Amino acid sequence: MYVLGMSCYYHDSSAALLKDGVIVAAAEEERFTRKKHDNSFPINAIEYCLKDQKISVNKVDYIGFYEKPMLKFERMISSHLEMFPKSFKAFLSFMPSWMNEKLRITSVIRKKLKYKGDVLFIEHHLAHAASTFLVSPFEKAAILTVDGVGEWTTTAYGVGENNKIHLFKEIRFPHSIGLLYSTITAYLGMSVNNSEYRVMGLSAYGDMNKKTNPYYKKLRKVIDIKSDGSYRFDMSYFKYHYSDRMPSKKLCDLLGGPITKKGSEMT
Amino acid sequence: MSLIKDFFLGFKEGFMDFGHDVSVIINSLLLSIVYFVGVGLTSIFAKVFKKHFLDLKVNKKKKSYWNDLDLKEKDIEKYYRTF
Repeated sequence: MYVLGMSCYYHDSSAALLKDGVIVAAAEEERFTRKKHDNSFPINAIEYCLKDQKISVNKVDYIGFYEKPMLKFERMISSHLEMFPKSFKAFLSFMPSWMNEKLRITSVIRKKLKYKGDVLFIEHHLAHAASTFLVSPFEKAAILTVDGVGEWTTTAYGVGENNKIHLFKEIRFPHSIGLLYSTITAYLGMSVNNSEYRVMGLSAYGDMNKKTNPYYKKLRKVIDIKSDGSYRFDMSYFKYHYSDRMPSKKLCDLLGGPITKKGSEMT
Repeated sequence: MSLIKDFFLGFKEGFMDFGHDVSVIINSLLLSIVYFVGVGLTSIFAKVFKKHFLDLKVNKKKKSYWNDLDLKEKDIEKYYRTF
């Protein structure tokens, strides 16, 4: 049995082909188009996977998509309803791509691939959990997924056993450790969904002592962390739930200045 | 001959760009109406009736922010849904 997994229209479109439950080919679209983080339909990546196995697309039993688009759309509409009228600009920029592609993803897949088989939609965090647990050497493991955001979930935990996964607790959007990470990345003048690795690298130069690091106290105002590890943000420090800019002026003031200009020297 | 061909090719490209610009303007106009009438009115009514679409509040008294989730393998029929 062949299963083709794919993601697109967010960032880093990609495809992976499984034969009888084993990954036999996988590729990112950017490797073919040479556009960094290419989010377009991964036609080249899919063609590569099929060519590798010398099969046509109609030999594929199922295509799996990496999220439930309608649930994601519901989350975005909910954000606009909650943040009206601040979200006007973001609404204008996000709606066309939803109307053209994301809400019609089944027909887009069928049309672009000339595929007649079944298309399945897997919850985003279940896909994340499966992508690590099912290829791990463990028969049983605790699973924690920490992401920017999927449909509504931003953080989840549960258990994996044999080939079964059960996620039973979640933190929901807009509270998201991943988006806090991206917000700090944006505040430092770097590109979101790209330069987070640089921030991770810079962290090694930071002061890890909670008492002497001034940013520790400042950021504790932003986040309320409970003893069980759950958390929630004071959303007045953020704009990502209604804008394409991530930190609010309040966060900039707290951290001691405006958003760093792109390419400027780090001190 | 090639001059005529270049002229028509340029003409076609110009019209394509013009068509794109017109569609952007019309899309923006229609979406603005949808936003202010559809989203706006719903949002105002929701605020009047104190209905919230996002849980934004920090509650210092709460012991945990974890929400229950029951995400596990389901019947295959449910994976055909986009919701």
